[in-house]
Amino acid sequence: MAMTDSQPGESAGNPKIDIRNLSMAYESGETSVQALSAVSFAVDPGEFCCVVGPSGCGKTSLLRAIAGLETPDTGGVVVGGEPVTGPGLDRGMVFQEYALFPWRTVRGNIRFGLDRPACGCADCEARVDELVDLVGLDGFGDAYPKALSGGMKQRVGIARALAVDPEILLMDEPFGSVDARTRDRLHTELLDIWAETEQTVVFVTHDIDEAVRLADRIVIMDSEPGTVRSALSVDLPRPRDRTDATFVDHVARIREVLAGRQGRTAE
Amino acid sequence: MSVQTESGTRTRDEPWYRADLRRYGRGVGGLAAFLAVWWTGAAITQPSYLLPGPIESLRAFIDLFATPTEIPLPLLGGSLTLPTGLAHLTQTLFHYVPGLLLGAVCGISLGLTMGWSGRLDDWLRPLIRLLRPIPPLAWIVFAIVWFGIHHTGAAFIVFIGAFWINFYGAYGGVEGVDGELTDAAATLGVERDLSMLKLVALPSAAPQVLTGFRTSIGRCWMIVVGAELFGAPGVGYEIINASNNLAMDTSVAYMLLISLTFLCMDVGFRLFERRLLAWR
Repeated sequence: MAMTDSQPGESAGNPKIDIRNLSMAYESGETSVQALSAVSFAVDPGEFCCVVGPSGCGKTSLLRAIAGLETPDTGGVVVGGEPVTGPGLDRGMVFQEYALFPWRTVRGNIRFGLDRPACGCADCEARVDELVDLVGLDGFGDAYPKALSGGMKQRVGIARALAVDPEILLMDEPFGSVDARTRDRLHTELLDIWAETEQTVVFVTHDIDEAVRLADRIVIMDSEPGTVRSALSVDLPRPRDRTDATFVDHVARIREVLAGRQGRTAE
Repeated sequence: MSVQTESGTRTRDEPWYRADLRRYGRGVGGLAAFLAVWWTGAAITQPSYLLPGPIESLRAFIDLFATPTEIPLPLLGGSLTLPTGLAHLTQTLFHYVPGLLLGAVCGISLGLTMGWSGRLDDWLRPLIRLLRPIPPLAWIVFAIVWFGIHHTGAAFIVFIGAFWINFYGAYGGVEGVDGELTDAAATLGVERDLSMLKLVALPSAAPQVLTGFRTSIGRCWMIVVGAELFGAPGVGYEIINASNNLAMDTSVAYMLLISLTFLCMDVGFRLFERRLLAWR
């Protein structure tokens, strides 16, 4: 199996996230499931990195390890030069099923991280206003999550993660449960926000189209056990057109890699 | 769009209140049928004191408020004069309220801590399994020898009843906290266990905690009457006292008084609950 730790066309500067030889196993009943096996790759500052792979390839475990929500068995994650030992405000997380606090309003959810003593914001109310506006939820500030559609809930999820101004945004299949049209719109909005905030994004998905649409670079993972099979740079100008020949070619190449044919590393 | 729906509702064949009226009608019908059966049963029962009819019972109920009764005030000393029914109800509340509140506070606190801390759970689970099945009223023997069968003893029994129900409400509520929510909170800077309990576990468990408390309001009425049958002063004592004098209609009147009091408390608490849990 080709273990490509390639960072094509990348400078040898300090990566924002450095994943080193990460292995994790889950105890499930009597058997132990190897979720990740010796995964290594790096993400540059400001990079939009997508991780694609079949379900069960450990993408979520990988993201949770970066977030500090799981402790790896061997290896580790280094963020901005510091090894990850637990969750921190420098890494915001957006969850697949939103994970909004149902007893808090939209504003209350967005505010959650700002209420922590660790976060010193001069004018939290203004910051919340700004975020409500940023994710296009004007007029819904006082609504409870139960009254929102899936797409709106995820906007709250994104705004809540952005509130504390993290350097890294970790997104776990965030648009997996919204309809195709809403997803398209959210892609555009996410790219706008990313361009504005210059954050480093790690975005996990099983949707190849979505990955090619968003990413600077795509890390392709294999399952059982979860390993990195290959990485691919996407040097297409944004906004990207799904019908564009190069776009289609990228999708086809990733599909080939996932289908088990020997991965061709890009460029 | 919404304007259309609104006018659409109005032009429907049936006015909006019709379905509600029909439901209330059925409820009143059921009540009337019960009264008729009761009335007939009372009319043919001999000797008549074995089953007082609805009218006699209602008269006895009104009589509860016709004469004043003086009751001593616990702790404060002195006395208080109220219409007889209210006087005995107040006596019951003197042990019901402290028992319920103290039991709820202790039960909820222990339930939250145990549901949250795995280690405490390991320590206490077997003990709780052992103590839980004991009916609160069984503790009456200790209530009597420790406190005497007065307000404190009865409050103790109520406390035990309230404790368990509230304990399980809080315990189950905290155990059921969604792991994703605690993960989300952790990534947003919640570090200490206590903050996590306050910011995530408690609000998330609130519906179950409140349901537990509401259940304990009703259960404690059953328990308090049981405790008073052993001699603590209050409405429960008056039920047995009246029946000892074969004034069964007065017993029924006190039963009705308990029922009405419970209804008021339950409705009041439901309103409070709905307001507090508007997010659901």
